Amino acid sequence: MSRVLAVWCPDWPVTAVGVDAATPGAVVADGRVAACSSAARAAGVRRGQRVRDAQRRCPDLVVRDRDGDAEGRRFERVVEAVAALVPKVEVVRPGLCAVPARGAARFYGGEESLRVLVQDAVVEAGFDCGAGIADGLFAAELAARSGGGGIVVPAGGAAAFLAPYPLSVLDRPELADLLQRLGIRTLGAFAALPSGHVAGRFGADGALAHRLARGEEPRPVAPAPAAADLSVREEFDPPAAHAEQVVFAAKRLAAELHEGMAAGGLTCVRLEVTAGFADGGVLRRLWRHEGALSALAVAERVRWQLSAWRAPEEAADAVWGGVAWLELAPDQLVPDEGGQQALWGRSTVTERIARAVDRIQALLGHRGVTRPVVTGGRGPGEQVARVPVGDLPPAGVPDGPWPGRIEGPAPAVVPPAPRSAAVTDASGETVGVSARCAVSAPPAHVAVAGGRAERVTAWAGPWPVAEYWWDPERARRRARFQVVTAEGHAYLLAVEGGRWHVEAVYE
Amino acid sequence: MAESASVRSGAVGSPAAGGAPSRDGLRADPGASSVGVLRSAFGRPGAALAHAGVRPGSAVSAETVPVLPGLRDVVPGGALRAGSVVEVDGSASLGVALVAGVSRHGGVERQGGWCGVVGMPDFGVLAAAGMGAEPERLLLVDEPGERWPDVVAALVESVDLVLLRPPAAPAGAAVRRLSALVRKHGCVLALSGPYGRQWPGVQLRLRVAEAEWAGVGDGHGLLSGRLARVVAEGRGGGRSAWVWLPGPDGTVTAAAAARPALEVVG
Repeated sequence: MSRVLAVWCPDWPVTAVGVDAATPGAVVADGRVAACSSAARAAGVRRGQRVRDAQRRCPDLVVRDRDGDAEGRRFERVVEAVAALVPKVEVVRPGLCAVPARGAARFYGGEESLRVLVQDAVVEAGFDCGAGIADGLFAAELAARSGGGGIVVPAGGAAAFLAPYPLSVLDRPELADLLQRLGIRTLGAFAALPSGHVAGRFGADGALAHRLARGEEPRPVAPAPAAADLSVREEFDPPAAHAEQVVFAAKRLAAELHEGMAAGGLTCVRLEVTAGFADGGVLRRLWRHEGALSALAVAERVRWQLSAWRAPEEAADAVWGGVAWLELAPDQLVPDEGGQQALWGRSTVTERIARAVDRIQALLGHRGVTRPVVTGGRGPGEQVARVPVGDLPPAGVPDGPWPGRIEGPAPAVVPPAPRSAAVTDASGETVGVSARCAVSAPPAHVAVAGGRAERVTAWAGPWPVAEYWWDPERARRRARFQVVTAEGHAYLLAVEGGRWHVEAVYE
Repeated sequence: MAESASVRSGAVGSPAAGGAPSRDGLRADPGASSVGVLRSAFGRPGAALAHAGVRPGSAVSAETVPVLPGLRDVVPGGALRAGSVVEVDGSASLGVALVAGVSRHGGVERQGGWCGVVGMPDFGVLAAAGMGAEPERLLLVDEPGERWPDVVAALVESVDLVLLRPPAAPAGAAVRRLSALVRKHGCVLALSGPYGRQWPGVQLRLRVAEAEWAGVGDGHGLLSGRLARVVAEGRGGGRSAWVWLPGPDGTVTAAAAARPALEVVG
């Protein structure tokens, strides 16, 4: 008989939709209460009640629809907390999970201390729970539900522990009803029936229920195997002072990683390279992999990552203290189905292009060559993000509307940083824009970056833009103008706080 | 097998006998007929001129690199010669338009080519996209640094057009090396900026001679486009045409009709 530790979270369907035990709340399915919180239960709400009846008994009842997905999803956090102590967790259903207790109890110094440890870990993760240990899953679940937070039923004591329970805990209403009418009201009385006769009268399912009632298990706990950890790691002692040393190790690690993934018939979408420095700093970066990187290419990316780190530092060597460890971890494992070129739609980076990009990145560092991605924004410079080739484009492009965006053809010259400008009216005064967007005087001359003043032949504006007005730290108020000069230049100007800038040039 | 051969013979113009596999179909496969296919492929009006100007026997390098339809009247032959060095002067929109033309109409099977932009951190990606470029097929190298010839060399070998603003005066050795690479790989090197003008051996120079902005008035309106007279100078002689660069919808289109010259009346 195997010892099983069960972790049971009370009223999980209610917890999963975000109602805590102190709030009277109920989860409904098909117009009936599927589960309710303990506060609601105290007010008289019961499972199976119609919503109307439940609300009559408890007028301030919080009613939510049952959300099976959320139950499964949130329970994952409970499972994580348990798995941190005892691996090989079986999720019986959202709200109940089980682990084999024998080895863990020996490791943590006894069943009671294991029970308390697991219970504390789950409570620390933010969920109320009970934990119980008994022979078999059925008894363990009831042990977890009994007492203040679960008990330990000693080995061999399951039948005695179960005997006083009513038949309803078997969760077989028809069988329970029949047995009731036969005068059998507890598990103990049911267990006392001869098993051969029970099987003959109630069939296979009845026999199974009989085994449960007698404290025998219908089947052993079947834990899902934990996902194999394919990440590889190398420690450097003393810390590697030269990038070469790290890159060399990275090549070997990459070969090891690829071997591990190939053994499982897997490949990864992305590869996470993490380098830890002797001073405690950690450098983490995701690289697109898709099964296309060789060990050498991975090593090359490690080199870029290190050089990208060292670039902003003035003194190259001693500041970062050397690389203490390096870890390569696959991200998003998927079955290896070989390379498949995109048929239409997105253009993939072909091998030829990738080779050129690799060479340039080797020369200039990873950020040296970029692909533009058009995103949301108002100014012409804000609407383009430059993504280093090999990186993922930014997720979640903000979508508009963008009040204040200048329509019409886009400017051909967009300086990375706005250039200062002087915009003056006919009398030589700087043109201003009032808070009500009134222009002090028509602009007559524009001088860009201290250059020669150009006469304005036509202008339009102002187009006011107030960004982040709800956030005083980031709030910006600007007004944009289009100005055409006698020299044939057309500028997109912006005035902010009385200062003029050239945001872009139509050229 | 015989079936496919007869289909191929059909492609070169000799009609195969109604589905029956014939000796004729098998014979039509190699040599002369494939040249015929190439000929007919290059028989398009745009490619004809470029074909004529190429050394005999190098049919493959007769490939052209396309430009936007709005610029076909200006550029001699209606397309850029693969392996040539082009200079754009005076207007950034011209460089953007060349990039857009390749990105939209270039590449393998004219499905869209790759472009590199080197040394132009102020390259207007939105303007290029407006003219038809596909941003995901652009490679931008904003700060090529001192080793820019190496960067350009790497790009020239794999993309269809490189738009370059040299950050320094080009050294003779770098010019010879890059020009040779451009010729070898059939890429087009488009130069801009002050150092671009010093590049020896430019085959074609595009510039904006006159331009007039439309749409903006005296404190009202919205910039809607520019009517520009684009001039091409080079071995094909001088040509010029009025072009919307850009037009109201951001694209490049030939101006509907030649503007009548202003004359004094009355």
